[in-house]
Amino acid sequence: MADFWLEVADITQSAMDGLLYGSTYALIGIGFTLIFGVMRKVNIAFGAASLAGTYASLVAFQVLHAPAIVVFAVSVIASGVLGYVVYLTCFRFIAASNELGSLLATIGMLLFLDEVTVVSTQGMPMPYPVLFSDTMLFFGPFSLRSDLLLVFVASVVCTGILLAVIYRTRLGLATRVVSQQPVAALLCGISVPRTNATTFVLSGFLGGVAGSFIASSVGLLSPLLLIPVTLKGLVVTVIGGLGSIPGAIVAGLLVGLLENVFLYFRGVTERDIYVMLLLFIFLAVRPRGLLGRLHA
Amino acid sequence: MLVIENIVTAYGKIEALRGVSMEAQEGRITCLLGPNGAGKTTLMYTVAGILHARRGSVRLQGQELVGKPSSEIVRRGLALVPENRLTFPEVSVRENLIAGAYLRLTRDKAGVAEDLERQLVRFPRLRERINQDAGTLSGGEQQMLAVARALMARPRILLMDEPSLGLAPLVVEEIFRTIHELNAEGVTVLLVEQNAHMALQIAHHFYLLEQGRITFSGVPGALQEDEVIHRAYLGGSGASSH
Repeated sequence: MADFWLEVADITQSAMDGLLYGSTYALIGIGFTLIFGVMRKVNIAFGAASLAGTYASLVAFQVLHAPAIVVFAVSVIASGVLGYVVYLTCFRFIAASNELGSLLATIGMLLFLDEVTVVSTQGMPMPYPVLFSDTMLFFGPFSLRSDLLLVFVASVVCTGILLAVIYRTRLGLATRVVSQQPVAALLCGISVPRTNATTFVLSGFLGGVAGSFIASSVGLLSPLLLIPVTLKGLVVTVIGGLGSIPGAIVAGLLVGLLENVFLYFRGVTERDIYVMLLLFIFLAVRPRGLLGRLHA
Repeated sequence: MLVIENIVTAYGKIEALRGVSMEAQEGRITCLLGPNGAGKTTLMYTVAGILHARRGSVRLQGQELVGKPSSEIVRRGLALVPENRLTFPEVSVRENLIAGAYLRLTRDKAGVAEDLERQLVRFPRLRERINQDAGTLSGGEQQMLAVARALMARPRILLMDEPSLGLAPLVVEEIFRTIHELNAEGVTVLLVEQNAHMALQIAHHFYLLEQGRITFSGVPGALQEDEVIHRAYLGGSGASSH
């Protein structure tokens, strides 16, 4: 009997850790979904641009020995800039009707950014600043890693800021209407290219936050993070419902939670298999995702 | 007020407008009639800066509009109520209206709030639905919303592209009454219509556009109404003899 309760406690602990870590997936998912929501196009390079921005912040860490918070800020800004670069190279000058063109361009961009980071670091994992790694908070039989808790709180704050921008500002209104009716947006005097570019920068900021949090909670920045971040970001976007920000939040937390539970039962080698199975189940049973609109 | 001269707009090699010249005089209602495919919507989009003219000129109070981005054209006082209304379906009626005043949202909050109230007085139905998504509105309500959104830009000239399209006769009458009222308040109107019968009742001047060319210009009554209707729907003898 005691064994059983120990097991339940362990599973709960795993689920809680996963939920906290899932907030970074939510950020990545929001980034993907934001771009899809505005342009109705997928930017596969989003995760790569975000991680490349985080790599850029290593300069502040290794060369300038800046404190962690400055390193994080550099990651956010660099990812925003790279978001704009992806917009320019993969979307701005490719006709809106050429969906395959932009998709392939972003795949090319992903490979390019990956190659640049691998070459500039010789493919070696790089240490990344860690926040209160040794502090734990205890709640009865459970403990929470305080760095994960910080990541969670910060992700919630970033999401809150983003939602305020989208639903409370002039810029946010522009991003919402441009996707729904681009011609009418032009007739209202809204610049469609400028609005699209701003969306890429905004989502880049989020990606930079997520990238530095992910690297910080692992303590390392490695090219091996690219595929999981990209895939999980896409899985979260699909499960949440393409274009739905609340959907991406819920799905990010859900994927983080389930992934850790899978990890608990089946180990790290099988974990991602179940995450992918989850994706297939959603595509088959509920293709519009948790909170997506019917026509999306 | 609005002078269009020799406008040529093409899709690839096909010239949809083959040198269109017309004029909308200040304080008047000018109508542009013509059958489907004559180029009416192409002309509206060209004037509003959505499509780009290959040749020709469009001047608003003497200032050239060709080559200007649509935002600049809105800023100079020209607003278009597009064909099929094109309201933003997944934002509220209020936000649709606010988007219409996008260019002065930050600088003129008080003015925008005032204009919003004015539109809600003009269209009480929109007030009832102010927090609903525009996509849930009926066709007639969406048309009113599209007109109100255009008016939020404080236009000196209002272009309307087939505002009666697909609407029930009673709603069409309401729309035309609104156009008449707006004009009485001093708004210059350029109205594109297929409903020649209704359009000729409120127009001060009208043009016929057939196959990318203006084939008639005159005051209502200058041409037999049944001939106008015939040519507005089918493209008449005037065009086929060219």
